[in-house]
Amino acid sequence: MSMSFDLGEGSVRVEFDEGLYPRDAIYGAAYVFIDRCYVHLDRVADKRIQVSLKAKKPGVDSQALAGEFQNELLGQAWRQKIVEDNRQFVETITARALGGAAGPPGLDELLSMDIGEETAFDDPLGIAMSWEEKYKKKGKTSDAKSEGEAAANTETSGGEAS
Amino acid sequence: MTQLFTEVGQAAKAPSGLVPFRFREVGGDYLLSNFLGDWVFVTKDEMRSLARGELQTGTPLHDKLASKNFLRDSIDAAKAAERIAHKKRFLNYGPNLHIAVVTLRCNETCVYCHASRANMDAVHTDMTPEIGEKVVDLMLQSTSPAVTLEFQGGEPLVNFPVMKHMIEYALARNRAYGKELEFTMVSNLAMMDEEKLAYLIDRKVQICTSIDGPEHIHTKQRKLVGGNSHREAVKWIERINKAYIDIGLDPTLYHVEALLTTTREALKLPREIVDTYVSLGCRAIFLRPVDPFGFAGRTAQIVEYDRSAYNEFYRTAVEHILDLNRKGEQVLERYASIFLTKILGDEEPNFLDIRSPSGSGIGALAYNYDGKIFTSDEGRMMYETGDPAFQIGDVFSSNYRALMKHETIRALVMASIRDTQPDCVNCAYAPYCGVQPEHSYRTQGTIFGRMRESTTCAVHKGIQDFLFGKLRENDPKTTEILRRWTTVRARTHFIQASSAS
Repeated sequence: MSMSFDLGEGSVRVEFDEGLYPRDAIYGAAYVFIDRCYVHLDRVADKRIQVSLKAKKPGVDSQALAGEFQNELLGQAWRQKIVEDNRQFVETITARALGGAAGPPGLDELLSMDIGEETAFDDPLGIAMSWEEKYKKKGKTSDAKSEGEAAANTETSGGEAS
Repeated sequence: MTQLFTEVGQAAKAPSGLVPFRFREVGGDYLLSNFLGDWVFVTKDEMRSLARGELQTGTPLHDKLASKNFLRDSIDAAKAAERIAHKKRFLNYGPNLHIAVVTLRCNETCVYCHASRANMDAVHTDMTPEIGEKVVDLMLQSTSPAVTLEFQGGEPLVNFPVMKHMIEYALARNRAYGKELEFTMVSNLAMMDEEKLAYLIDRKVQICTSIDGPEHIHTKQRKLVGGNSHREAVKWIERINKAYIDIGLDPTLYHVEALLTTTREALKLPREIVDTYVSLGCRAIFLRPVDPFGFAGRTAQIVEYDRSAYNEFYRTAVEHILDLNRKGEQVLERYASIFLTKILGDEEPNFLDIRSPSGSGIGALAYNYDGKIFTSDEGRMMYETGDPAFQIGDVFSSNYRALMKHETIRALVMASIRDTQPDCVNCAYAPYCGVQPEHSYRTQGTIFGRMRESTTCAVHKGIQDFLFGKLRENDPKTTEILRRWTTVRARTHFIQASSAS
């Protein structure tokens, strides 16, 4: 049996197969109810999860509560599947949106950077990067084994480029 | 459609050669749309053929699908990539709209007030000049080459000195930035006077107001202590429009913009509302449904309604607008214009609530009177009614890049990518649509939204059903009118002279 219900007065216990619904979807669906219900999750058997919803206010229709939870669970599971299928698309659009809005880091950001032993060789602007590495000129990029080496090459490479 | 596949039965198979497409029944035919936003109508018989995998080369159906980029072999990949990049080019820029709430004080009381007004003695809700300067500083740091500073309230004319200060400060500071800078003020106009008007005209501030329809409905919904809110608004609309003519501007392009908030009362008067707007010289009518923010959340029993009633109102009003166009009146409906611009061409009007991802944070920022910064004006309204979910910083301690990379903005971007949301992923209107995640959060408790139950989705689907219904009828005169509604005439007068040094 994939799913079972136990309806009480203003409360509902739903038990289902964890293999059918991803755990993150269960958390997501349960979370949506926390403003109007007390929510409890439990493992009642191997691969069986039970969600208990108890309405905070009286007069709630248990049947409707159970139905709403099932719909929310399906929505969460489906959204998770769609996002997984399109992860690269979402990441590309998000990165482009945030990058476009924020613009490149400026002097203020560099000045406010925490520069310690571990971060001293970070190069967020790519200013220590060789011309070849930056513009992917053939034959040179693979020579730069570290950012330090790349920085050392910058002057010579620049000369070659011109 | 389910019925159609049942009819086809075991003969149904995956169509070969077709790109993935979405479909929707409109007016007895099927509308097909693809990832490029191209669309085509096919008959039920043609759809049946597609479902059976019977698409033959050389047939009218094959040619029709090929011409609209539904067949893989006939797509020019480079051109397709170019078109997608063009449509999504708004992602290259940051927020262009910066909403400054210069006060919460307001001299009118509206049944649907979204702004959470304060009484006229609540002077502590006035923005200070110092906060105003910090708002301008942040605005000018936007990566967008064009920025608009929009003054809102409350009633912004209540705090006119700070508004003036921000305008002068922005003009001075922009000499170093050289951005295309515009100013807009959203006002009920009841506190306007000749001196203020002269300043606003001189500084090229666009003026926008609210008209709820004929006088009796407007005054019923918008109470002005000691006066008539409708008469004040109309008097100043006429005066401002004359001022534009006096300085030599084309009245068809330069006039006061007015916005409608469609309440339950307004649903009864679709034609009268259109006629009121036309009589005031308005060339664009935005038939916006009531929002669930601010006081409207509390007065929902008075102002709210079922969205099917709204869709009926919308259809009647726009049919009337189309009739007026056929008689030579140049007037359009703004929702229709936004959708049609995407449906009939590759342009993106960048209306922040109807694009994907939405403009929350990355397209607009709202600054409260106290300096708190929000992802949108709706997010600010929610803060005023007790929910700070969309506050991302304040003008005292936030830096621009940190604001744009704020985790709330990241979440809102991901939540408003329509191609990855249940329901939207299968919706034929996905290429043209968008949603405001703050609205989903306010009405459904989740920024992702459940579109099947969303009032925004119901409205967007209703409008697009109507528009595609019209396009399917293919009446040349109507199609030409709809096409004309997508024409953009830039109001360059309102752009401040750029003089970056």
